[in-house]
Amino acid sequence: MRVSIVLRYVGLVLLINALFMLIAGLISLMYGGDGFGALLYSAVVTALFGVFPLIFVPTPNRISNNEGLAIVVSGWILSCVVGMIPYILWGGEFTIANAWFESVSGYTTTGSTILIDIEAIPHGILFWRAITHWLGGMGIIMFVLAVLPSLGTAGMILYRNEMSPVAMENFKVNARTTMRIVLGVYVGLTILETAALVIAGMNLFDAVTHSFATIATGGFSPKNASVAYYDSVTIETIILFFMVISGLHFGLIFSFIFERSMNIFKSTIVRYYVLAMVIGTAIVTINVHGTNYDSWGDSLRFAAFQIASVGTSTGFANADSAVWPALSQILLMFFALQCATAGSTSGGIKADRIVMFGKAVIKQIKLLRHPRAIITVKLDNKKLHDDDLSLGVLYICLYIVVVAISGLLVVMLGVDAVEAFSGAIATMGNVGPGLGGVGSVGNFSQIPALGKWIFSGDMLLGRLEIYGMLIFFLPSLWKEKSTVR
Amino acid sequence: MKLRLKILSGFLILALMLTVAAVWSIFELKSIGVSVNRLLEENYKSIAASKTMIEALEREDSGVLLLMLGRWEEGRQIIDSSDSLFQESFSAAASNITIEGEKAQIEMIDKRYKEFHSRFEKPIVGTNKEGDINWYFDEVHTDFLEVKAAINKLMSMNDETMYSTSSGLRGKANRAIMPAVVAIISALLFTFMFNFFVNYYFVNPIVRITNGVKDFIKKRTPFHVEVDTKDELSELSVSIQTLCSLSKRSENTDES
Repeated sequence: MRVSIVLRYVGLVLLINALFMLIAGLISLMYGGDGFGALLYSAVVTALFGVFPLIFVPTPNRISNNEGLAIVVSGWILSCVVGMIPYILWGGEFTIANAWFESVSGYTTTGSTILIDIEAIPHGILFWRAITHWLGGMGIIMFVLAVLPSLGTAGMILYRNEMSPVAMENFKVNARTTMRIVLGVYVGLTILETAALVIAGMNLFDAVTHSFATIATGGFSPKNASVAYYDSVTIETIILFFMVISGLHFGLIFSFIFERSMNIFKSTIVRYYVLAMVIGTAIVTINVHGTNYDSWGDSLRFAAFQIASVGTSTGFANADSAVWPALSQILLMFFALQCATAGSTSGGIKADRIVMFGKAVIKQIKLLRHPRAIITVKLDNKKLHDDDLSLGVLYICLYIVVVAISGLLVVMLGVDAVEAFSGAIATMGNVGPGLGGVGSVGNFSQIPALGKWIFSGDMLLGRLEIYGMLIFFLPSLWKEKSTVR
Repeated sequence: MKLRLKILSGFLILALMLTVAAVWSIFELKSIGVSVNRLLEENYKSIAASKTMIEALEREDSGVLLLMLGRWEEGRQIIDSSDSLFQESFSAAASNITIEGEKAQIEMIDKRYKEFHSRFEKPIVGTNKEGDINWYFDEVHTDFLEVKAAINKLMSMNDETMYSTSSGLRGKANRAIMPAVVAIISALLFTFMFNFFVNYYFVNPIVRITNGVKDFIKKRTPFHVEVDTKDELSELSVSIQTLCSLSKRSENTDES
């Protein structure tokens, strides 16, 4: 492992972060408030750390797969580290643990917050908070790959390490085109949603920050009451639409818009994802009608928004789901575990793996009845190998084990069990709100500092799909001698 | 990039990091100074003036009670001295309007005080008001309480601003300290990184070049040391390689 090469590429990631800190600084100057100094100083420090390795380390011809993995994971962790500097410097509610939690929550597009009074934060810092979502939603490494000039074969290695393996399966084009598709769809959706929200009556700042949070399936809102602040069916409908769209595979969206391909409607995963949400919304609507809301219209409005918000791992709120009946809350937790489809900005286990899990179970049942049968499992006419199914099921098991362990650890810190476990599910799935005090209108401020560090770890594990993070901390990764130059 | 520039860049970056931290800390400390000054000059001055006004008002009230008891000389003396004390403090407060709504409150105090004062401008001693406790409670005391309430409101307005300014000071103190903390941590990390790069890209190639030269001298092993960077060290390596090749060629020529 050539640490210097890792530092060189992480430096590029830091430079991108510094650039966006400067943009947030400019926003701070435009809107006033006292966030400018914090953002400018953070940008300078981050840029200096980013530029220094570039001065020393020459461009390598190739990088190894392990170096690629180390670059991706270090890029994420160090982005979170520099991302917390503006918060620490600004002060207020941001202690070290709080700033780290907020920064990780931003980059991993979780959207959980420790802030009690969000509206007291200056515009510049709020904008930076939204930018962390936007950068993290696309994937900070993907962002670097997409905006920087050719990184040669190194770019390919980084791309393979950054992209979810499940998502990669569905892209039918090469890496460079894939990156362009993702960036194009991402920017396009952000602009469209911003325009729609402005037309619906939202001011430009709120529209941009909400769009960043929606398309990245993040959930940070510049308002204490989240989307409920606007109390507008139009705004909620626009956000709901873009949340659902952002939960779809970007490659399918791109081919639908630019290639007139109908694969988006034929995809088993997409059909399952949409159907699950429709059924979930119907059940919750019936469940909350009469108990929480008198009219069917309100029941549908709040149920649909909350299910889409949790089911896409966004985390916006237009109602307090903590007071909903148990069945609705359990359903919300199911969607928080599952989330949307691979190839989107969503977190969680992902609908793809749930479908694979279902197919693996059906295959197993058939094998029990006909032990000698040769059963081929197919997904959209493509044969799924046993290895793929096993990996999918293993990932789900590992995911649940991590949630259980972190939930238990937080309970041991004296946190209520519902808050601890729902918090673990919500952070691991990069969803945002859990249940109880950490519910849709609550926040994580009351969680002890150590609990915040545990939940932050969950967010990173969830975002990097566990394995990458685990391998990163294996000493053998760092001891390995590089065979490439 | 040349070695000299690379080394210089390390120190320059470190210096820049510390300079920015220092400039920002100075800016924040200066801002703390301004806030403290505002706290003392603007709010505390008004609070002190309000306290004196209340004290003067209470003494004036005592003066009125003395008049009601028929003690004209003592009563008038207390009222006159208290009135001048009140006017002096009122002027201090009126010339120190710094909070939104403070001007209206000052005008309210002025109005209420004038009403209160008008109650005992006319003689009390020797009139039917002398000893009339009901007149005192119904008119004088009610006005007295209204003036006092208006002054108290002015005082609490300044109190609240003082509290929020001092709360803000805590944040400013944090903002003055944190750049230095971030700069120290960054400088430490930066030093480690700089040390790593110096070792990896300067010291290691020098050691490899030295060993290569030693091997050539001792065993006549062909000198071949690769240096990744395109700086003086790679030039040195190439030069030594050329020198060794020439030396070996001349030796071969001599032998033949």
